[in-house]
Amino acid sequence: MSENEVRKNVPFLSVKDLVVEYKSDGQIVHAVNGVSLSLEKGKTLGLVGETGAGKTTIAKSILRILPDVGAKIAKGSISLDGKDVLNLPENEMRKIRGNVVSMIFQDPMTALNPVQKIGDQIAEVIRLHSDEYTDFEKRAKEMLEIVGIPAERYSEYPHQFSGGMKQRVIIAIALACNPTLLLADEPTTALDVTIQAQVMDLIVDLQKKYETALLLITHDMGVVATVCDDVAVIYAGNIVEYGTKEQIFDHPTHPYTIGLFGAIPDMNEDEIWLHPIEGLPPDPTNLPQGCAFSPRCKYAADECRKEPISVYKTPDGHDCRCCRINEISTQED
Amino acid sequence: MTPVIEVKNLKKYFSTPHGMLHAVDDVTFSIEEGKTLGVVGESGCGKSTLGRTIIHLHESTAGQIFLEGRDITRVKGKELKQAREKMQIIFQDPYSSLDSRKTIESTIREPLKVSGKYSKSEIESKTLELMNMVGIDERLRVSYPHELDGGRRQRVGIARALALNPKFVVCDEPVSALDVSIQAQALNLLKKLQMEKGFAYMFVTHDMSVVRHISDDICVMYLGQVVEKCPAKELFKMPLHPYTKALLSAIPSVDIHHPNKREILKGELTSPINPKPGCRFAARCPHATENCSQPQVQEEVSKGHFVTCCRIHEL
Repeated sequence: MSENEVRKNVPFLSVKDLVVEYKSDGQIVHAVNGVSLSLEKGKTLGLVGETGAGKTTIAKSILRILPDVGAKIAKGSISLDGKDVLNLPENEMRKIRGNVVSMIFQDPMTALNPVQKIGDQIAEVIRLHSDEYTDFEKRAKEMLEIVGIPAERYSEYPHQFSGGMKQRVIIAIALACNPTLLLADEPTTALDVTIQAQVMDLIVDLQKKYETALLLITHDMGVVATVCDDVAVIYAGNIVEYGTKEQIFDHPTHPYTIGLFGAIPDMNEDEIWLHPIEGLPPDPTNLPQGCAFSPRCKYAADECRKEPISVYKTPDGHDCRCCRINEISTQED
Repeated sequence: MTPVIEVKNLKKYFSTPHGMLHAVDDVTFSIEEGKTLGVVGESGCGKSTLGRTIIHLHESTAGQIFLEGRDITRVKGKELKQAREKMQIIFQDPYSSLDSRKTIESTIREPLKVSGKYSKSEIESKTLELMNMVGIDERLRVSYPHELDGGRRQRVGIARALALNPKFVVCDEPVSALDVSIQAQALNLLKKLQMEKGFAYMFVTHDMSVVRHISDDICVMYLGQVVEKCPAKELFKMPLHPYTKALLSAIPSVDIHHPNKREILKGELTSPINPKPGCRFAARCPHATENCSQPQVQEEVSKGHFVTCCRIHEL
């Protein structure tokens, strides 16, 4: 095999066995516990899970923007286009941020600088990170038009914009340097449904146009169903199920994924009672032994509470971190 | 049967430096015992203001509010206090709606104390009973809110609201700050308590799948006005107002094999300050014509199904 052929099979982003810990009050918070995932150019991976499951920490690790004090990448590797991110010098890393990889943050209300013109905020990213564009203002105006804001509004301030428009400015900032990888952390959670649909359409349009790889962090299964190619379900800092959208939605196998689908009120059924997952997510400073989901799992047996659980293949070939998948699939059928 | 709560032509305007903000504009509905009215709409459409105005957290600008048949629109002092015992609210954010310096026990105990109806020992036993009812462990009695997760905090908010056995409860986005798996627990709890005690709920939310699940009737609001009102199941089967249709089609479906046909709206909410007399949705409506700039009339198109749109018969 020639070198080119090898490269072709290497995904653009590859995270292997990532472990991230935070120190707080002398206790260790186990935020991410051995996550592996990969993403190719032009594809979308949905990272689904509840508050505190470690989704945002994974994204911040990829950009290396975890807080200096308290957070530690204890293990694992992250590679971007073949480069080892965790061992790059800081000045190299700065060239990657905003240019090769950029991030859309969750809250449009607080992610913008309130005392700087929105146009200048877009231009700043281009000035700092791009070798491609020399006329920063021109490119910033172009970006405004791309996200559907008239370029005449370049000199306005964030408070003059609605939530949906602020989120579009943030998208313009994230996409200004044509990144190859976009990390979108709950990009539409703070928005109303009709505006949510507009913003999601915009992200997907731009992604298709520029062949961007998109890591979409969300807890909304509906958004995942609409835009993702692959889905990783994360629980207590571990990916518990990982496959194509079709595999996960048609044959959810991990008890947590099954529970997650079951807890959503069904739009076509008239049931009085919902089916919640009983109990609460575990304390990340004191994770249960074995499977972190076992205290809430109705299929849990002794074997679940001993060793860390390895990844098994389901009948349709996707990954599931559950040692009882054979028993469960027979019961579910 | 007299409805538990009834509002007629209720209006709430706020005065701003730029003119009058029409937060709630001419809203009429009633809720019977043990029933739930869902109120949906985008942020800023006046749904929370509506709930707060009914229970007198805001003073209404015009219109009438009836509690169990009695006009309470302008009650003051002692009468207002009595009315408030029967009307309670569960707030959206379980993080900011609890006093961070009060223990769980003293938060739940407070309404019982304020009412002046109970002896010390009754307050003690009732507090425990309430904690039990909403499923908070007794060992958490002397915990502080920061020690609890969001789901448990919201249970404290629910216990506090239900302490005096109200008739009418405004649930203002009570589950939107919770994760899906916890959200279902809280919704089941609200439903169970309603079946046991017959509370009338006004359930404010922007989550369409939640509102369909919990409501008997649904009101769709746009910029302070009700554009459509009908039984919950009917709204999803046969939405009539163009805004309702757009709202429903914007819900991302979890069914990957039959995705929604999405109708993406252009533009965003217009300003609720000094609105023009016509249909407030016209600026974003794909079907708007000249007639839509005239004042709109609510029409009962079939039994219990009200729509405010002049083009309804053509569409």
